[in-house]
Amino acid sequence: MLGRKSAEVVGIDDPNGVAGRVMVVGGGVGGMRAAIDLAEAGLQVILVETTPSLGGRVAQLGFMFPTHDCVLCRGTSDHGYGCTRPAISPAFMDYNLHPNIELLTNTQIIGAKGQAGDFTIQLRQHPRYVKVERCTNCGLCAVACPVFLPSGFQMGMSQRKAIYKSAPRAIPDAYVVDKGPYCEDCGICVDVCPTQAIDLNEEYLNRTVQVGAVILAIGYSLTDVTSYEEYGWGRHLNVVHSMEYERLASRSGPTEGIVVRPSDGQMPHRIAWLQCVGSRDQKYPYCSSICCMYAAKEAMLAKQRIPDVECRIFMMDERAFNKEFNAYYERSKETFGVEYVRCRVSSVKEDPETKDLVLRYMRPNSPEQIVEERFNMVVLSVGTQPPAQAKATAEALGIELNPYGFCETDKFAPLETSQPGVYVCGTFQSPKEIAETIIDAAGAAGDVMRLMRADLGKKESSREYPFISDIHFGEERDVSGDPPQVGVFVCDCHPSIDSVVDTEALTRYAAKLPEVVHAARVGYACFDEGQAQIEEAIEHYQLNRLVIAGCSHRTHESLFQRTTRQAGLNPYLMEMVNIREHCAWVHSAHPQAATRKAKELLHGGIQRACAMMPIHKGSLNPARRALIIGGGVAGMTAALSIADSGYNVTLVEQSAELGGNLRHVYYVAEGQNPQRLLRDLVNRVRGHERITVLARSQMIEQTGSVGRFNSVVLTHPMEAGQAIDSSVEHAVTIVATGGEEWRGDVYLLGTNRQVITEVELEDHIAHRPEAIAEMTHVVMIQCVHAPDALDSSYQAARYCSRICCTNSMKNAIRIKLLNPSCQVTILYKNIITYGFREQYYTEARRRGVVFVRYDDTTQPLVQEVNGHLRISLQEPILKRTLTFEPDLLTLNMAIVPPQGTAELARILKVPLSSEGFFMEAHLKMRPMDFMEEGIFVAGMAHYPKFIEEAIAHAQATAGRAITILAKQPLYIGGSIAVVDQAKCVGCLTCTRTCPVGIPQIRPGQVGVGGIVGAAYIDPALCQGCGSCTGECPAKAIQLLNYTDEQILVQGLGAWAVVAD
Amino acid sequence: MSDQGHNKTYEPEITVFTCIYCGYMSADTAGALRLQYPPNVKLIRLPCTGKTDVGYILRAFEMGADGVYVVGCPIGNCHHVRGNERGQARVERAKKLLDEIGLGGERLNIFFVSGGMGATFAHHAEEMTERIRMLGPNPLK
Repeated sequence: MLGRKSAEVVGIDDPNGVAGRVMVVGGGVGGMRAAIDLAEAGLQVILVETTPSLGGRVAQLGFMFPTHDCVLCRGTSDHGYGCTRPAISPAFMDYNLHPNIELLTNTQIIGAKGQAGDFTIQLRQHPRYVKVERCTNCGLCAVACPVFLPSGFQMGMSQRKAIYKSAPRAIPDAYVVDKGPYCEDCGICVDVCPTQAIDLNEEYLNRTVQVGAVILAIGYSLTDVTSYEEYGWGRHLNVVHSMEYERLASRSGPTEGIVVRPSDGQMPHRIAWLQCVGSRDQKYPYCSSICCMYAAKEAMLAKQRIPDVECRIFMMDERAFNKEFNAYYERSKETFGVEYVRCRVSSVKEDPETKDLVLRYMRPNSPEQIVEERFNMVVLSVGTQPPAQAKATAEALGIELNPYGFCETDKFAPLETSQPGVYVCGTFQSPKEIAETIIDAAGAAGDVMRLMRADLGKKESSREYPFISDIHFGEERDVSGDPPQVGVFVCDCHPSIDSVVDTEALTRYAAKLPEVVHAARVGYACFDEGQAQIEEAIEHYQLNRLVIAGCSHRTHESLFQRTTRQAGLNPYLMEMVNIREHCAWVHSAHPQAATRKAKELLHGGIQRACAMMPIHKGSLNPARRALIIGGGVAGMTAALSIADSGYNVTLVEQSAELGGNLRHVYYVAEGQNPQRLLRDLVNRVRGHERITVLARSQMIEQTGSVGRFNSVVLTHPMEAGQAIDSSVEHAVTIVATGGEEWRGDVYLLGTNRQVITEVELEDHIAHRPEAIAEMTHVVMIQCVHAPDALDSSYQAARYCSRICCTNSMKNAIRIKLLNPSCQVTILYKNIITYGFREQYYTEARRRGVVFVRYDDTTQPLVQEVNGHLRISLQEPILKRTLTFEPDLLTLNMAIVPPQGTAELARILKVPLSSEGFFMEAHLKMRPMDFMEEGIFVAGMAHYPKFIEEAIAHAQATAGRAITILAKQPLYIGGSIAVVDQAKCVGCLTCTRTCPVGIPQIRPGQVGVGGIVGAAYIDPALCQGCGSCTGECPAKAIQLLNYTDEQILVQGLGAWAVVAD
Repeated sequence: MSDQGHNKTYEPEITVFTCIYCGYMSADTAGALRLQYPPNVKLIRLPCTGKTDVGYILRAFEMGADGVYVVGCPIGNCHHVRGNERGQARVERAKKLLDEIGLGGERLNIFFVSGGMGATFAHHAEEMTERIRMLGPNPLK
């Protein structure tokens, strides 16, 4: 058993040499994100996953709301290449696995002891029965295996064998034996395996590891739908749950994205979604937070796939409470015609003839009327439950669970478990969506970095090359002046390639080409033997270009690039030709044609290899300083995290005082004291030797790029006088400028003294409770926007400010505590108390708070009549006008970006969202990064947030910042676009074409004919897509590694040239 | 194109430009699933379909390709945000040019395929090969 929490752990020494090692438990998006960040910060990571492959729940989702994309390939800024689904970064692909990450799949924790800085953890690794490094994915084993089982990845909607891969691109990229009771141990797979990769007698391994910290990212379970018998899942074929629907609608699903009914394979024409199955009820009293949005997404996917489909969502409240969510929800209604009905369905019956489903429910707005309606398919929006291994994990690590069975955390330390040194992220902490899981994960990694500050950067890795390495390679051979000496290696990959393509003939063909000095067959080029053969040949024949004819560029390029570099050549001098996935496997019925095609592809590859040129990345040592704009809870938290980790911070605050919005928060729904947090943060920031606070200051200029930014900060004097500007050199910038309560002339605010805002109410309750206790009736109006936001053309501006509903619950409960006879009436549109905050909604109702719904067509009317405040409202269910004459009306104002946000965005050259908040690199996968490398966003500057969310976000930016601050050196460039200024006419085409706005016309650059102003593309920022090169009318831009010459030289259409 | 549909020995040569994300990967997935399609289609890798150059397409026809098509990520899903839309615009432009010079824009196409859609990739290969077979050889050859 582990020791209990005592004092706060800030940093630890490393007596046993284990503190530099961290264990991340769970290989879903959260675990992967945390692992990469820790690895990049120079710590060693052991990533433990219980299933045979990475990806977790997200790997099964075809689309994410509200972006409708699947771009896990955009999960990190290192855009290496290739969708690495189900992983989130090329850093996990087998041959490019980050050298600081050790991946243990099929592994679970069975015991633990020790304390922060020195945990001893016992692991049990269950056998895979397949050696990953010997498996070539030929698939013969699965063809031969006689045992059919339902595919778990496809939610049982298709079949797999007992030896299988969960998905074609599973990581690790190898087969696995599911040796449950159904496997007959017949050994056929062992016999057919051409590389002897299978060992059915493999035993499990017990392993004990020592780590300094643990991050738990163990996800969630789906609600067991069989416990909701009234909905008929399992009995009625066409009742599916949302995860099954996700697979149906996914492009990698059993139907490649065609939504069909399980009963007859026909497209449904009427689909109903039933919300809150396993959420917000007696059994599961919390809100699962994600179902409203995924149901909207699933309905839109149906609309896109099935012409004239009717989609109806039965819900209680529409909880669209994150960035761009409300606009998305509106789009589902207005553009797609998805219908929303506010009620719970009481039963689902099946028509035995048609297998249609008859739903019985009470029609809203007319309570007497119970109706029955027919649908072709019903989707149950299942909720989130604590993960299956929650209890066992909690016991092993000695952490506390909350009453719902999720991990217990403190509001002001949202990523720390009750056990020091053990952190939590993602849905194990509370139900949440992908973006918040990513924030948590990066934040937990940030927390660990602070804990292990002494070890940051110790385990070096290098991004000097297109692959990630930990080795310092020898001298690179300069081949620039030499004519091409091409070596060709044709991989037999028996029997994958050589059973179709005549590899002998292919090798002979290559040997005859004039540029080729050596051509040879290789058994398995990816095996150690194959690697050795290639390296020896490079040395022996003094090859300076390499062509590997084998498998996919996507999975194996980094392996062969490493081989090339190891043999002393620049890795960009190697070209791969895919004669397996793109040839042998898809033309097995036509071996002659396949061999001819292989020759043609190889010919093109050899020509391209001859034109390839070495590429060297630039490097710089980053300044060891972060600049943070905004001194609220987010800015101060980030500053302390970074400073505690050993790097300097300049904290720029516009006002004279630190604290931001936190200064006006006196109590929170959960009960902690926010003023104590405020004092603690301010004192620690003010007293920290590594933090320079510049109050009454603003950033007026930023130049440079990641690693070396130069900024000018203007500081106003305390009294009248001249402002002083100072320049700061920093590696990273964090934007934490917060948000503020909108102020404006609505509902008599500012003209009637009985009308105040919710922030003012909190101030009254905190400072004049006796006045509040005398009240007899308080009315609160939720969702008060700027009037123009109510104009339909401002749909996006009607976003949910996220925190107001819970704040109203907190204040309503306070008023009821002070005076139980005081009536509190809340006029609302949707009650958005997501996650465990639902309990405050329940408590408010229990204490007698009255809730009255209104919508945009029934806005409350606030008047002053004979000196009395009067509020009238058309109530939709009773169809009556309700009138209130309260003592106090409080308005829950929208939270808006503070003034100056647009100006700061211009200075930093970063975009804003439709709501006016800062726009991150990707809504789901990179919620704390900007597309501009080295600039991050935290807290309300991103979107309205609770304190705990702002803290997690701030820690996430701190962690991401440290991955840059700890780098020595930082590599920039690679396969990027470069401008030949002598050809540039400064026409601006590239600036318009670039999807991320990198090219600039710089007056300092001289273009064609000596004109002033030519294009410049910052190598630190270019993403390497080449869009600009295809559009540049003067052909002044070339993309390295894909120059026009390197592409045209392949022949493009001259295929017949090499025909026999 | 006098021998259109008559030349039994005519096998179309089709050049396919793919991005290294979804485009290339859908072909990988088709391979992993062992889906069969005509060997007439041959892939050239581009970093993104935004790199598709009208010049590359025209060069492919000039060098003897009977048909050309581009495979990129689904719209809205481009790794480089909007590269595939750029690619589409260039394909449209090239189609007009092909119409003007008499080669015919129908010899050129663009498809948006997700990395998991192996069957769809194979289907497009099949479809394009059939279409180009019907259209007969590139008259420039």
